[in-house]
Amino acid sequence: MPMTNTPKSGMPPGALPMLILRVLHSSSLHGYAIAQRIHVLSSEVLAVEEGLLYPTLQKMLVKGWVTGEWGTSETGRKVRFYRLTPEGRKQLKAELSGYDRMTQAIQEVLRTA
Amino acid sequence: MGELMRRIRYLLNRRRFDAELENDMEFHREMAARAGRRNFGNTLLLRERAREAWGWTWFDRLSQDLRYAARILARSPGFTAMAVLVLAIGIGVNVSAFSLFNLVALKPLPVRDPDSLVRLERRSPQSYTSEMPYPSFAFYRDHAKTLSAAIAVLGVPPMQIDEDVVPASASFVTPNYFVELATPAAYGRMMDPSRDGTPGAQPGVVLSYAMWQRRFGSDASVIGSTIHLNRKPVTVIGVTPYDFASLGGQGPDLWLPIALQPYLIEGSGVLTDPLNSSVRMWGRLAPGVVAKVAEQELRELTNDLRRQSPKAVWDNEYIQASPGGHMQVMQPEMYRVAAMVAVLTLLILAVACANLGALLLAKAVTRQHEIGIRVAIGAGRGRIFRQLCTESLVLAVLGSLAGLALGCLVLRVALSELNAPKWLSAAPDWRVLLFTMGLTLVAAIFFGLAPALQIARQRQQKTIARQILVAAQVAASCVLMIVAGLLVRASQHALYTDPGFGYEELLSIDPGLGRHGYSPMAAKEYLSQLQTRLSAVGGVKAVSLVKLPPLGHIVSNMSVEVNGRQVEIYPNWIEPGFLKTMSIPLILGRTFYPGERHAVIVSESLARREWPGQDPIGQQYLNGDERDNVVGVAGNARVNAISDDDAVELYWPAQQQDMPDMVVMVRAAGPPDKLPPVAKSISESIDPKLFPEIRQLKLLYRDNVLGVERVAAVVSLIGMVAVLLAGVGIIGLVAFTVSQRTKEIAIRLALGAKRAQVLGTIVRQFSWPVCIGLIAGTGLAGVLSKFLRKALYGVSNLDPLGYGGAIAVLIVVLVVAVLFPARRALRLDVAKSLHCE
Repeated sequence: MPMTNTPKSGMPPGALPMLILRVLHSSSLHGYAIAQRIHVLSSEVLAVEEGLLYPTLQKMLVKGWVTGEWGTSETGRKVRFYRLTPEGRKQLKAELSGYDRMTQAIQEVLRTA
Repeated sequence: MGELMRRIRYLLNRRRFDAELENDMEFHREMAARAGRRNFGNTLLLRERAREAWGWTWFDRLSQDLRYAARILARSPGFTAMAVLVLAIGIGVNVSAFSLFNLVALKPLPVRDPDSLVRLERRSPQSYTSEMPYPSFAFYRDHAKTLSAAIAVLGVPPMQIDEDVVPASASFVTPNYFVELATPAAYGRMMDPSRDGTPGAQPGVVLSYAMWQRRFGSDASVIGSTIHLNRKPVTVIGVTPYDFASLGGQGPDLWLPIALQPYLIEGSGVLTDPLNSSVRMWGRLAPGVVAKVAEQELRELTNDLRRQSPKAVWDNEYIQASPGGHMQVMQPEMYRVAAMVAVLTLLILAVACANLGALLLAKAVTRQHEIGIRVAIGAGRGRIFRQLCTESLVLAVLGSLAGLALGCLVLRVALSELNAPKWLSAAPDWRVLLFTMGLTLVAAIFFGLAPALQIARQRQQKTIARQILVAAQVAASCVLMIVAGLLVRASQHALYTDPGFGYEELLSIDPGLGRHGYSPMAAKEYLSQLQTRLSAVGGVKAVSLVKLPPLGHIVSNMSVEVNGRQVEIYPNWIEPGFLKTMSIPLILGRTFYPGERHAVIVSESLARREWPGQDPIGQQYLNGDERDNVVGVAGNARVNAISDDDAVELYWPAQQQDMPDMVVMVRAAGPPDKLPPVAKSISESIDPKLFPEIRQLKLLYRDNVLGVERVAAVVSLIGMVAVLLAGVGIIGLVAFTVSQRTKEIAIRLALGAKRAQVLGTIVRQFSWPVCIGLIAGTGLAGVLSKFLRKALYGVSNLDPLGYGGAIAVLIVVLVVAVLFPARRALRLDVAKSLHCE
């Protein structure tokens, strides 16, 4: 039985890595906490599904933007925490400025058209 | 650490990273469950999707497919062994053919800087010769700035060592030969330009390794000793290495400095005669120069040379520089032969692939069930197609490995049979491996693609694809059989038919007067003495002179347009008695008068082409600016074009200036075996400086035929292999059809059908593809064999016997292949086969 795998969060495509990079900027988190943090910070607008979160995290690991290290969760379980690498920081900066430029451009159009 | 490295780390530690991922997701689920959410979806699928980010999914699928393919193949070992064997033969034949081509034309010689060696040859739009006069060579050597060195090689007739009966082959070379190739001496020293370059130097000879072993018993103390060549003392200075690689694959027994040539061959003017094309030239390109640039400079030098000695240079002559650092310098004609061989060997591969493709298609029917299950549980067509292609690729790789081994083995045997230079090795190099890999891929596509497509689309019931493959097999093996048949006919023809002259009792004596500097007058004097004395010997029936004797060292031909058709004419220069000596009949007219000029005798076939329906006698034959009267018509004889039946011959009376080049032909009354020693002593008593080459035509002719026979044997073997492959393939297919239709046949028989009728329906399914294959194959062979004409010894390339024989053999094999398994249908136990379902 085929399964639908489109996220229902309404998140623009490509935004998730930027969001992950951003929430990891302040502290390293495990996967569930990343999803939670994004959900909470977006005033419960954005829901990050497992089906999208983990492939994205794996991609970011391979790209070298984040690394995984073992830690203990708030429930006392051994779990992997994701931490931003210097390359990840650079990538975040690049994505943010790119995003700024994009929104500015869109704003411009919306204002003047 | 780059991304690629990280990926590879993920590949190597897949198990650990997968466990970590699993742990992550499990934790996520626990936490979510606490928060009250319960639907997670398919965990395995989620994990798989996450893993895709590592970029190794294709690898996983491939290893899955490979494992599955290995299991499938291992489950039917009989089929697998058969398939590998069929492929090994198809690929092995191609690998050995390519390896041979590689050794001859592609592999660089193991000498210093083989890439900068070039072979330099005279060409013009009308003419080509592989040799040039020594003074021209010296001119190019002294003036060409694009060449850092120039090497000349002068081949000479065999020389006599001391009082040996068997003469030794010899080459004169410029003393830089071994320096340029950086050849180390096995013993003693190689030539040295400073010591062996001048005529006044102490005469020295370098022995070949084989000569040193054979004649001198591998005795190292022979270095420094003196031997006699043509009765002149010469010091042995060295021995070439065992695995010596020479230019152009040449392997004489003796290597001599070219400066010694006038000393050893007395009276010779070869080194000073600007018109005598006699040396082969190689050059080494100066650093950074490409062959085209050298050709440019040499073209200018050729023009300078023309100003110096106008006769030495043709109109529009230029020097062609071709890569010389290989065993064989390839000429366009050789590429044509290579292409011909390639077509034949690729046909074998085609037979093998068509064979295997048909087998795979048949096997697909039995796999219907398995594929059906896989489709039912969710495998896409693409996935199944990929799986089937992987299976074919595994088969192809196994077949190629076996083929590579087979090919190298064949090459090894061939190299030792052909007495090839010792540096050539049968071990595959990177070119052969690359070729094999390419061939593997081609073969896999050829035999695997059609079945895979059909199976993946689940349409395997159609028999049309199988029938096409049967037709292709039959066509390809038909071509091979016909070519083999023609070559067998040619070798028989060559053995048992007459080349137009009686060769059994003939002897040719080449005194080599020109090489010894005889003037025309002196030559005439010598020859008439020799002829008189030979005629007086008991058992000699006739003696005469000819310039180009049969199976001689020089063959001259001209391509002329006669009445709109290109005809190869082989001209010759003869003395009046030549036709009688050779037993060539004079059909019309007369032979020449002594000293006659502007007369010509043509062969019957030339007369018929040139003047159809007219009396040729008294006609004028145009030769450049000259007009010659046709005085006679001789029977067709292939004096020079021994294997080319299309060729026609033409005889001019030999003139005074031809005398130094004339060869004496002697016809004995019986077997001429006793004559050579007599002829030798007569020649010695006239002029002891000469060492005439005395040859029995019977023996030469036999050697020549042996070569054709060998080729015919190899091609027949290949043809038989192809036919057997096709036969085995068809046996398998018919057997399979019978077993598939057992029930139908049983019902028919139960309902009262005659067994012959039942047999007919089975056979009919294969009869039309076989017929189409035969017709297509015969047509293709008719076209391809045109290129063979010149090698067929007068057998037509449409020779009905060759075609008939080949097709008959093929039909017998095919009928047996169809009827043998079809018989099973006739012996069917009706009750039993109906009960079993």
